[in-house]
Amino acid sequence: MDTVSAGFEDKDRYDRQRRITWVDQDAIRSSNVLVAGAGALGNEVVKNLVLAGFKRITVVDMDDIVLSNLNRCMFFTDSDVKKGMKSEIVAERASLLAPDVEIVPIVGRIQDVDIEGFDIALGCLDNILARMDLNATTCYYGIPYIDGATDGMRGKVHVILPGRPCLQCVSNRTHVKTMETRHTCTGNSSFTPHLASDVTTTAIVAAMQVRETMKIISGHPELCITNVTYYDGTLCDMFTVEADIDPTCPNHGRES
Amino acid sequence: MTIRLTIKNLANGTSLRMEAEPDETVNDLIVSAGEYWNLDAGAYVLKKGKKLLSGKTKVPDAGLLNDDVLEMIPDPEGGCRWGSHHKF
Repeated sequence: MDTVSAGFEDKDRYDRQRRITWVDQDAIRSSNVLVAGAGALGNEVVKNLVLAGFKRITVVDMDDIVLSNLNRCMFFTDSDVKKGMKSEIVAERASLLAPDVEIVPIVGRIQDVDIEGFDIALGCLDNILARMDLNATTCYYGIPYIDGATDGMRGKVHVILPGRPCLQCVSNRTHVKTMETRHTCTGNSSFTPHLASDVTTTAIVAAMQVRETMKIISGHPELCITNVTYYDGTLCDMFTVEADIDPTCPNHGRES
Repeated sequence: MTIRLTIKNLANGTSLRMEAEPDETVNDLIVSAGEYWNLDAGAYVLKKGKKLLSGKTKVPDAGLLNDDVLEMIPDPEGGCRWGSHHKF
């Protein structure tokens, strides 16, 4: 006969999460997660990852903090403006949410980070070129990639698993044109637009990204979005669309 | 043979009728619709029902039929939607 202490169920930080039948808390604890971008989505994603029990997180961002970030970034304060780098502040503040979490900040471009060895990558980026680069690299290494994006009250989450359509598969001429307009032939950003962005849409997209991550890390990719979910916060509408692998997409050449 | 389609703009609820030739692609439909609506530059995708249409696919290969209703969706890219002075 088992013996338990009264109130034992409240002495485990993750007790309530373990009650979700498909959650593998040990797998979550031991996984190695890459977060590309420490802006609005990155703040929310890292917060959710830490609270969910992920212990090994690397967060990459090249930017510093400006006042206009503060309407949607929970880890940034007025005292960080023009002083702190986004990835470093997120790592420092998010570490306070859970013991023994290791958050490694990298100040730099995601294109310059060696991503081999990560179990999963979450895209919290602000431009198509960086997304396409991370998309290609994760496909190359067979790393699941959860891409999140927002624009004002609109958002989307694309779950990319090996053998499933990637960002390039679903891109079209408007994506290419946007990349060409934004970037010079040397790859340097020629113009950085200021987008509408609010914390509610950010929170919803980031929550979906981390929930899909939990499914994959827990060994249940079959529960994931197939393939892209779009969210319209103005109408409180959400729908999921399927896509096909583009047979000419170079990211799928290694798959058989 | 010309295929007559309806394209619905999910951003504003308006629709337009479009005639597509067999040698045209989904890319052509997206660009033409964007120009007709004078949409802000940025990425857009086209779906039929629950299926996202691939840009490179020719209209007949996309399984499009007369009187199909397609929906055009702004594709959020967080940093790639330009100001209103940059048009589609």
